Amino acid sequence: MGIDDPAARAILRCAMVARLATLSGSGRPSVTPLYFVCRAGHVWLGTPVWTLAVRDVKADPRVSLLFNVEGAPGDGRLLRLAGRATVRTDAEAQRSYVWRVALKYSLSPGGLWSQLAHLRLLPLQRRYRAQSAARGPGAVIDVTPEGVELLGAWVVRGIGGSSGQN
Amino acid sequence: MTQVTRDIDPADARDLLERPARACLAFAGPAGPQAQPVTLTMRDGRYFVAIPESTGVRPEPGQEVVLLVDDGVHYFDLRAIYVRGHAQPAQAPASVRPALAWLEVVPVKTVAWDYGAMRAVDDGH
Repeated sequence: MGIDDPAARAILRCAMVARLATLSGSGRPSVTPLYFVCRAGHVWLGTPVWTLAVRDVKADPRVSLLFNVEGAPGDGRLLRLAGRATVRTDAEAQRSYVWRVALKYSLSPGGLWSQLAHLRLLPLQRRYRAQSAARGPGAVIDVTPEGVELLGAWVVRGIGGSSGQN
Repeated sequence: MTQVTRDIDPADARDLLERPARACLAFAGPAGPQAQPVTLTMRDGRYFVAIPESTGVRPEPGQEVVLLVDDGVHYFDLRAIYVRGHAQPAQAPASVRPALAWLEVVPVKTVAWDYGAMRAVDDGH
């Protein structure tokens, strides 16, 4: 299965937050939830250049990504993608990513509604982003898929719960 | 001086563990990093996760892992608990199907964040 397989595309269309698993140069694991967009068969994830995810990808380009279907309670389909990543900080990638991610998230009806519901936090958000920018610019983690798996339905339960894969 | 933080006390995100929207385990596999969706159960404040027995790649006993439980789509709804620790084989709860391999994630470091709880804090300078 590839990223252009209809089943994979259907999940990627509905997925909103990717979980990016990486390894440090010494082999220590990490996982980061990130916004993403798909572009020309690649997955682009945005994060500041100073983050652990970027440092890890620079040290070891191998990544594993998980995507799940959002907005459809009971739909436990998951997609896992293995690939290799590069870190892009060029202006073209930044512009393209920022525009695409704005359309997908902050300028979407749900995104606009969420901002209206949190108006009092917008000044803090601006300060938080300025703090981050002072540490370094944004980066795009550009993932070239090498393998894609459909994991089927998965139910996650909480305290005292139990579940399984269908 | 103040700085803006999204960090919260993990104890304040307990409801996220009660109703996890997304839970996954990251660890080093033979072919690179693995992001594995897991079933999460908390018992007596301890983290237990389950992976299907059929899953080919699982963490070895004592191996370093990271458990991420997160929720939300839009900026101010994003929150998570991030647990770095070690995997240890665990007994399955009596009520569950046997086709799952259970692991306890023994925490070394736990952090949590909630963008909806963003606030200014004294940075100590």
